[in-house]
Amino acid sequence: MRVVVVGAGMVGHRFADDLARFAPHAEVDLVGAEPHAPYNRVLLTELLAGRVEPGALTLPRPGAPVRVWAGAEALHVDRERRVVATAERTFTYDHLVLATGARARRLRVDGLDPMPRGAHVLRSLHDARAVDAATEHARRAVVVGSGPLGLEAACALAHRGVPVTLVSASATVLARDLDPVAGGVVGRSLRGLGLDVREAAVLEAVETVDGRVAGVRLDSGTVEADLLLLACGSEPETRLARAAGLVVDGGVVVDADLATDDPRVSAIGDCARTPGGTSGLVGPGWQQATALARRLAGASPAPASVVGGAAMRLKAVGLDVVTEGVRGSVAEPDDRVLAVHDPSAGRHVEVVVRGDELAGFTCVGDGDLAAHLSTQVARPGVLPPDPLQLLLGTSGAAPTTSGSPTTMPAATTVCRCNGVTKGDLVDAWEDGCTSVSALADRTRATTGCGGCRRLVQGVAQWLEQVDPPASQPDPGARERSVPAT
Amino acid sequence: MTDTHCPYCALQCAQRLSGTGAADLAAEPRDFPTNRGGMCQKGWTSPELLRTPDRLTVPLQRNASGSLEPVGWDEALDDVAARLRTMGRDEVAVFGGGGLTNEKAYQLGKLARLALRTRLIDYNGRFCMAAAAAAANRTLGLDRGLPFPLTDLADADAVLLLGSNLADTMPPSVQHLAAVRERGGLVVVDPRRSATAALTDEGAGLHLAPVPGTDIVLLLGLLHVVLAEGLADETYLAERVDRVDDVRAAVAEWWPERVAATTGVPATAVRRVARLLADASGHRGGRGAFVLTGRGSEQHVDGADTVTAAIDLALALGLVGAERGGYGALTGQGNGQGGREHGLKADQLPGYRSIADPAAREHVARVWGVDPELLPGPGVPAVELLASLGRPGGPRALLVHGSNPVVSAPDARAVRSRLESLDLLVVCDVVPSETALLADYVLPVTQWAEEEGTMTGIEGRVLRRRRAIEPPPGVRDELWVMAELARRLDAPGTWSTDPREVFDELRRASAGGRADYAGISYDRLDAGEALYWPCPDETHPGTPRPFADRFPTASGRARMVAVRPSGPADVVRPDAPVWLVTGRLLEHYQSGAQTRRVERLNRSQAGAYVEIHPSLAARIGLDGHEDVVVTSARGTMTAPARVSTQVRPDTVFVPFHFAGDDLVNAVTNDATDPVSGMPELKVCAVTVERAGR
Repeated sequence: MRVVVVGAGMVGHRFADDLARFAPHAEVDLVGAEPHAPYNRVLLTELLAGRVEPGALTLPRPGAPVRVWAGAEALHVDRERRVVATAERTFTYDHLVLATGARARRLRVDGLDPMPRGAHVLRSLHDARAVDAATEHARRAVVVGSGPLGLEAACALAHRGVPVTLVSASATVLARDLDPVAGGVVGRSLRGLGLDVREAAVLEAVETVDGRVAGVRLDSGTVEADLLLLACGSEPETRLARAAGLVVDGGVVVDADLATDDPRVSAIGDCARTPGGTSGLVGPGWQQATALARRLAGASPAPASVVGGAAMRLKAVGLDVVTEGVRGSVAEPDDRVLAVHDPSAGRHVEVVVRGDELAGFTCVGDGDLAAHLSTQVARPGVLPPDPLQLLLGTSGAAPTTSGSPTTMPAATTVCRCNGVTKGDLVDAWEDGCTSVSALADRTRATTGCGGCRRLVQGVAQWLEQVDPPASQPDPGARERSVPAT
Repeated sequence: MTDTHCPYCALQCAQRLSGTGAADLAAEPRDFPTNRGGMCQKGWTSPELLRTPDRLTVPLQRNASGSLEPVGWDEALDDVAARLRTMGRDEVAVFGGGGLTNEKAYQLGKLARLALRTRLIDYNGRFCMAAAAAAANRTLGLDRGLPFPLTDLADADAVLLLGSNLADTMPPSVQHLAAVRERGGLVVVDPRRSATAALTDEGAGLHLAPVPGTDIVLLLGLLHVVLAEGLADETYLAERVDRVDDVRAAVAEWWPERVAATTGVPATAVRRVARLLADASGHRGGRGAFVLTGRGSEQHVDGADTVTAAIDLALALGLVGAERGGYGALTGQGNGQGGREHGLKADQLPGYRSIADPAAREHVARVWGVDPELLPGPGVPAVELLASLGRPGGPRALLVHGSNPVVSAPDARAVRSRLESLDLLVVCDVVPSETALLADYVLPVTQWAEEEGTMTGIEGRVLRRRRAIEPPPGVRDELWVMAELARRLDAPGTWSTDPREVFDELRRASAGGRADYAGISYDRLDAGEALYWPCPDETHPGTPRPFADRFPTASGRARMVAVRPSGPADVVRPDAPVWLVTGRLLEHYQSGAQTRRVERLNRSQAGAYVEIHPSLAARIGLDGHEDVVVTSARGTMTAPARVSTQVRPDTVFVPFHFAGDDLVNAVTNDATDPVSGMPELKVCAVTVERAGR
């Protein structure tokens, strides 16, 4: 089987890697337009923030049957002859997989046609390098778009020390992922990080001087800036599919098996419109890649991908936002929706419980809880009887502090290694073992790891006060228990 | 007074024994680097083991009515040998134990190959160290549990401890963590807040509680941060490690937020721990860092890959072979290390030699005085071996030494039915263990204070076990039992019953192997020398830190291996929604056959319990201390609930030392790691219900 994958992004790469494992005899050509080996696009904002090194983005080389063609833009698909052509060669396929991804959506406002210098999008490593270089000298950056990419980029630039204005067309940020009440908390936190956040703002024009960005004109006024980052969403990259005559409607249209109207052509990732819609997140794309690889390899089918409600985990310096599954605003009448709204602490947590499982959650400003809830979604059988407990996480286990020798109950274990309780020590003391070493000799407390030595000393000091040795009737007992050494 | 070491775990706390016989035998701790004068209640009470009323003192034979009755040694051995003679090769199997001395382990491997002529030998250490061993061999070229003295930990700024509850399993070892706790550098990874996790309280470090079975994901996340943030020791990697870029690329997919969603460990904690380890490492000016794994991370279907990720992390930080720092696996059983080096493993000959390697076969055959052709090939790992017993084409007879697999093996009730289906089961033991009670012949043998030998402790240091008292009349040393069987089976080779002579033969057999004991002698050990293998000749000082200059690989360099998570095999689902994890208690050792017979230990922990979070307890309607039934696709067990916030709300914990209705290994999964044969004892999916409903 000869398989050609057009698009060497994260989803195309995953597909090729999986297919190489499930069908080691398949011949796979992974054809990508970008000049680099496949890399982790999700980390581009981390690269911009300076939190990861460029080399850390490179993805593993897929297994042996996969040939990777970098810098090879697919220009044409001939479905009759089953051939994909680049400028330099042609690839013949038994099955073609389109993983062409998405491209940045362009805004139709004055000043952006042609793109002035200083204006950027952030979709590729090439883009990230350009923004990174511009950051060195930028006096102020304007980020247009308040989706995950816009927020991550804005926080990254702020982390790098660049003053940032974030322009949000919606009344609250992350409007596609968060209900307004949660989005409001995020906006407040962004301001806390020093960002200038303009919500419900209309971008009227980009102002330029000599072909360079000089600022943006908003409905509320003008912001001077020399770096403009456009993060206004993306649209499926379908030009090749459309030219090849495949059905395209807001994405390459595929069925639940990810097949297009041509049974020899499939589409996955951001370019594909599945029956559940398009996603724009890597998680569902990876699920699709694995599902398709299994199907083509004739392996048992993988679970279908979930597009709606896929988890969104923001990777922004200084800001924790995770949401997954059902949100309160779209909950059903019988769902239980519980929330903690704590804006001045930058926190908003919401859980949606449906029947016997956690159907979704939103966590702003509480990464610890978000990590826990992520592991509990869609797991019937372990939901706490009162879902209120979900909002408290696993933190029920308060760290124990060393007890006071005076107040601890007699049954408290002082020495775990040898199973000695405070009561045992008191008994030994009353038997005349009135020093730490005598107590150790009698009870073996402190003779394991020695970690209880201070506590035994404390008990001895307390006994010294409340039950001094002199008060004991038989001083001989004390001598008997004094250790030889 | 006799100086020896504790009968139980791999820490091998040094003991001084006094008394004239079992009746007045007493044990006190001795100062020694591993235990630093400490000893837990298992060690203090160890003499009671030899006083247990049901101590085996005469051979037993199953009679016509099915019960065990006393029989003479000659009659027992004659009959066993006669029945073994009727069986073909590979109709007889041997199952050993990690508590046997080096001498016994060596001789048992030889017995299997020369007298029984079977390839089918393996041991309970497969449940212990197999994953770590496979991972260390493929990355570092050598599997020595700790490739550094335990005392090295005292210098470290950070210790990452994964899947080990050493505060319960080997309490005196906690002393070695005192300094790192002072510096706030102890990181414990355990799904539950174990006694060891609690050592991180009050600023001593961090406890990370990942979803059971996700340690490997957490490790890949730590590696991601180390490599992506430029925290790795690139000089070391360039000089000493191959295939770094494979791992660099593999972990590009494991950024902290993704890791958090799988493990439940917050992304901030992943970053924080990675930076803590990096800053503790020598190349960034730290005093050193250690990465240590235990069974909790290893007993998984991707156990070898999990340990490989841990080693990759240690390599990335330049720790392995560094002056201060390293990777180590914490061996569990007393001689789990020596047992796997000298012939108990299905694929190995003494000296950690491969039984498939012609040169290794040649060498060992020469020492044994036989034709190499006589040696069988590799057998199969423990779980596969146990599952094949009594099956068509499988073994019809089994010899068990120092193991109690009907309690300690996964899916233990299935193992019991396998043992019951055998034509001949011969068990050598000290007490009538659950496995011994199934046997056709039970042969009473010596233990600990009654015998001479050597043990290889947690650090790869060879230790002397010394006889303090005479064994009861009627009890024999296993070396004698093996010699007698070999003689009756007309086996070639010599079969000494003197441990020193057997050890000297072991030295010759191991000479030139990876675990080379040639230079280690009873005389040197008795003179107090601290000898760590490899030690190729009598003038050699031994090797406390084997990776200091080079790795024992073909290139002399370590090799990183890219891994990916593939477990658990038994995943939570609507009809089995809760994770089960198992572990140990301070009071007990292994299957509990020995420690349950010590009154004081049994009084504190007489049975298993089900540790359950209050939220889960409330769900199933527990309101006090009722019994809880835990059921998996394999079996069921019942034990009292112990409601505690120290366990995750989606997980229950059960200790595995017990054999009645509370036998948790009736529930655990016998799925194995394809790399190492390690079974997935540590995690499976269960239902948890209140008993009596």
